[in-house]
Amino acid sequence: MRTPWASVLLVPPLAMILLFFVAPVLYLFWVSLHEASSSELYGAALTVQNYVGVLGDSFYLAIIRRTLGVAAVILGLCVLIGYPVAYFVALQPPRRRMLVLLLLLFPLMVSNVVRAYGWVAILGRRGVLNTSLGSLGLIDGPLDLLYTIPAVVVGLMTILLPYMVISIANTLATLDRSYEEAAQALGASPFRTFLHVTLPLSTPGVASGTLLVLLLTLSAYVTITLLGGPRSKLLVSMIYDGVTAFQWPHAAALAFILLALALALTALILSVLRPGRVQGTGR
Amino acid sequence: MNDAQADVRLAAVTKSFGPVVAVDNVDLEIRRGTIFSLLGPSGCGKTTTLRLIAGFERPDAGEVYIRGERVTSIPPYRRNFSMVFQSYALFPHLNVSENVAFGLRMRGMARADRARAVNDALELVKLDALADRYPRQLSGGQQQRVALARAIVIRPAVLLLDEPLGALDKMLREEMQIELRSLQQRLGITAVFVTHDQEEALTLSDQVAVMRNGVIEQTGPPREIYDRPRTEFVAGFLGASNFLAGTVVALEGGTAIVETPAGRASLLADSRIGDRVRIAIRPERLRMMRDDGLGLPARIRDIVYRGPVTHFYMDSAGGPLLSYQQNAGAQDWSVGDAVRCTWDPESAVVLDSGCA
Repeated sequence: MRTPWASVLLVPPLAMILLFFVAPVLYLFWVSLHEASSSELYGAALTVQNYVGVLGDSFYLAIIRRTLGVAAVILGLCVLIGYPVAYFVALQPPRRRMLVLLLLLFPLMVSNVVRAYGWVAILGRRGVLNTSLGSLGLIDGPLDLLYTIPAVVVGLMTILLPYMVISIANTLATLDRSYEEAAQALGASPFRTFLHVTLPLSTPGVASGTLLVLLLTLSAYVTITLLGGPRSKLLVSMIYDGVTAFQWPHAAALAFILLALALALTALILSVLRPGRVQGTGR
Repeated sequence: MNDAQADVRLAAVTKSFGPVVAVDNVDLEIRRGTIFSLLGPSGCGKTTTLRLIAGFERPDAGEVYIRGERVTSIPPYRRNFSMVFQSYALFPHLNVSENVAFGLRMRGMARADRARAVNDALELVKLDALADRYPRQLSGGQQQRVALARAIVIRPAVLLLDEPLGALDKMLREEMQIELRSLQQRLGITAVFVTHDQEEALTLSDQVAVMRNGVIEQTGPPREIYDRPRTEFVAGFLGASNFLAGTVVALEGGTAIVETPAGRASLLADSRIGDRVRIAIRPERLRMMRDDGLGLPARIRDIVYRGPVTHFYMDSAGGPLLSYQQNAGAQDWSVGDAVRCTWDPESAVVLDSGCA
């Protein structure tokens, strides 16, 4: 099967990846190790001050903590809401399941910017929620709903929930029914069957959904900016601010800190859920 | 036979899926400590029958009893059975001993007793050395044994087996058949075995039920099913058979003489003169003689050498004939030879009319 030709076919995509992905990332890392310069992309002197400065600054540490907190809450909500929905979707006959999944994909066809403005219209001081609560006499003055962390969480979660549902539903739908029947034949009630068999066997779907939601949360920008405003910034917002202030090396260092966080969290999720143990290979 | 001896009883059970009647008014009783095979082609309703016993399907009509208890409306997890699935369905996230312990855990058995029972079960299937392995690290045959150990460790009233050997290669399958049989006899387990492999059914079973289109065509011990098939379907499904149609023209003691298009044949049957009958003769019972004596005249169309036996395909005026001859002595038949076919009267079976 292995012919010299097979490796030749790998050359174009490999070259593309090296040229357009690996090389820029390495260059960015190189940038992050330099002083800032007022006229160039980066200054002449090598330094680790960009990293030390961020990690020793309580302001940035608070932003990192806030970023991790927001990601954790969004992940938790997505799993808690997404799993039951996915379970329901997986129970549907194949044709209806396709329809429901298409329906779930529908919101993804609308731009995040548009959807964020939709939330602005709902949550704003003169938004739908405040005016209707006010006219019902339930509140005296408008509530500060917009430009808060909860607004960011709600906005991101509604965008990311379909990823979680689709991931879990696909795993559940392709699960061999005989596992559940085997558990019942051994005396497990439907609830214990779910707990001891269905749930562990669906970890590949939970893992891929969790990773998708996590990485999309960490890299989200528009939603955070529009719903969080200037007071509820996350790590990505700081990178953008660094770039607009021409602090290129500082922004590059923040980007690598974000990357390190994403990799560490990915490793953590995979080691906790261990999706490989139910997929036939590895552990 | 009463309920005290029958571990499983189906009474007039019917199950349809939409317009398709999968199981049609089936009655059966399975005696304690025996292996009962449901044999038939795919789509004959044998797996549905098994799933009705398990409770994975609810019958449209009729009742299901396990150990005399009516379980028709009781969910699977409260029925006293266990099952070996065609795909084994070993839990991939649990290792071998955790898989075997699953049923005991669900029954709330104490940890120490559980460990002992699991160890005993794994010893029975000779897998105690692999207790810490995961299913994906086992061969097909080993997975099969784990599935078996997991099913017998809970001491079920009845063990249901859904084509459990189907995924194994031929050598391993025959080995497992013998092992399964000896294990079942040692433990005195009652088992229901679904298979489409007639040899497997004959090897393993105390009783065989041959199913077709949701109906049991014949139930009996393997020897009876094979030697005295009642219908053409049973005769044809369990190995090959020669079929001849004819009219009874004379009776000599218990022997009936039947006039067939190929000539006269004799058989043991309590028929009357003038009866139209359809008879079946197993190929290994069909003797071939030189073309100078009695018997049905035929001509050899094809000869297939199969190692221990040779298959002779012949044409006669009554239709094609097939004979298996042991390759013990010298035989020098060749294609085109004229032969006479004979058999002992007790080797021919009269089939039920109407099922032709």
